[in-house]
Amino acid sequence: MRGWDTVRLAFVFVLLLVLHFTIRPLLGWRVEPDFLIIGVLLVAIRVRPGTAALVGFVTGLMVDSLALEHFGAVALATSIVAFSASWLKAVFFADDVVLNAFFFFLGKWALDILLVLIAHRALGGDAVMQVLVWSPLAAMMTALAGLAAIVILRPVLSRSVT
Amino acid sequence: MPSAARAFTRRDSLLFVVSLVLSLVALGLPPHLRQPVAAALRRSVLAPLVSLQRSAELTHEAWRTREQRQEARDSVALRAMRFTDVENENAHLRRLLGLGRQLQWGFVPAEVMRAPGGAEPYAITLSAGANAGIAPYSPIVAPNGLVGMVRTVDPSMSIGIMFAHPDFRASAMSEDGSAFGIVAAHQGSDPERFLLELRGVPVRNSLAPGTLIVTSGLGGVYPRGIPLGTVLGELKTAEVWERTYLLRPTVTPVDLSSVMVLLPRRVTAGVAPVWATGRGVDSAVRSIVHAGDSLARAAVAERPPESGVERAAVPVPVTRDTARHDAPSRTPAVRPPADSGRRDTTRRETARRDTTRREAPHDTARRDTTRRDTTRRDTTRSASARPDSARLGSSQPTGARRDSGGAATTVPHDSLTASTRDSIPSRLP
Repeated sequence: MRGWDTVRLAFVFVLLLVLHFTIRPLLGWRVEPDFLIIGVLLVAIRVRPGTAALVGFVTGLMVDSLALEHFGAVALATSIVAFSASWLKAVFFADDVVLNAFFFFLGKWALDILLVLIAHRALGGDAVMQVLVWSPLAAMMTALAGLAAIVILRPVLSRSVT
Repeated sequence: MPSAARAFTRRDSLLFVVSLVLSLVALGLPPHLRQPVAAALRRSVLAPLVSLQRSAELTHEAWRTREQRQEARDSVALRAMRFTDVENENAHLRRLLGLGRQLQWGFVPAEVMRAPGGAEPYAITLSAGANAGIAPYSPIVAPNGLVGMVRTVDPSMSIGIMFAHPDFRASAMSEDGSAFGIVAAHQGSDPERFLLELRGVPVRNSLAPGTLIVTSGLGGVYPRGIPLGTVLGELKTAEVWERTYLLRPTVTPVDLSSVMVLLPRRVTAGVAPVWATGRGVDSAVRSIVHAGDSLARAAVAERPPESGVERAAVPVPVTRDTARHDAPSRTPAVRPPADSGRRDTTRRETARRDTTRREAPHDTARRDTTRRDTTRRDTTRSASARPDSARLGSSQPTGARRDSGGAATTVPHDSLTASTRDSIPSRLP
């Protein structure tokens, strides 16, 4: 990846990071898009798996610093998801909009499942509801938001594809 | 497969393992070591993002507050609109109560179930019927005047026509009795559809605009003295030997929600004092408004029975003899205290009484200084019929309590003894 592409990718990532901290509180919905995982996955499918894991770790650690408990749980989950996404992208070589949306869906869902398992964010029936109902809904919303982000940011991201 | 080979380079694996290990270390950190790291992140990298988040949440809160205020404003506006409706209805019901207090007996209150404007816009359905004593051709009245007449009667409901109905006719006269004619619907175009016409007025009788037109009592359907309308002006017609006047009805059709139906015996007895100048109903309304106040009501409850409110409830009997006609009270209608003779005779007497009172100079003088209802009561009731006179014979206070008309009385009819009823003399004609 060339230097200018890296800058543009970083810009997109920061933009999604800002959206994560502004759009979500503004909407105040029960099911919200996760712009953070969109940013991580957008970066992950354009960089090497090791770098993706590192980006996921840093991003997750930032989110963890805002929580009182389970410091490092989001970092762990995001690292796994980012590495997996980057590895899958490298294996299947796919660069399709719908496939990217599917990536977002799977990535968000996997992240929520990992967080339920690692950080025990929900227990018992609530955990089942979270994993089977709310997480897929949030993943779907994230996929839609990611799709919109790809379409809107296509001019910025097009030359970044490796 | 070069990309696959690239994916599994040692460097990538190492970075992934490092990320995992660091994450697990962070998870296992004790709180006193974890907090400084988290705080450092919050104060450096995350500070602008948290600030953005706070602004976004404030914006969201402001938006929500705005919506809540908008909803509150809407609900307040809606409540205010309802309040106006309730206020209007309250005023109308008070006027109706005032009319009921003036009529005292021989009427049935009824709700207008179907407002004008439907398939038959000039017919109204009333919530009372033959069970309440209503008969065909019973006049329908409102506090402001005549509404129409009953045409069809069922046991529990009845259908009547309004004054704007093409079939409506009423024998009418000017308030001073100088001109007579027939009132009918004007049947003009929409804005004038509810106006009335006074037809058949002799050429020699000229009516000024604003003259009140009331029922004349001729014909036996409507008792004398119910307001119909006020003269707006003369209509030009082809007839040269009679005049036709355009009237504005005293009753507004859109305000019709509750009305009174006069029973046949009340029609026979007459209602002339009720609407004599319109002040009778108004004074009764004022007394009701006053009594509606809780303080005034409490004060009235503590006062002796001859207080103002109860005195207003004393009926104005029109009996000519003491023979009582206790009809079985199968209806909620307020019954007259006694049966009268032939209708024609009674009506003539009523008309004569009105004329006499109108011509009496002292009566006119009193009208200026005192309330009309008080004046009328003093001038027409015998001494024993006044509340004060009830103290002469027994502890049962007033003639109102011996009256079978339960609506305006304060003591049930059956609580009075026969001797008490008989001891109260009839009133002067």
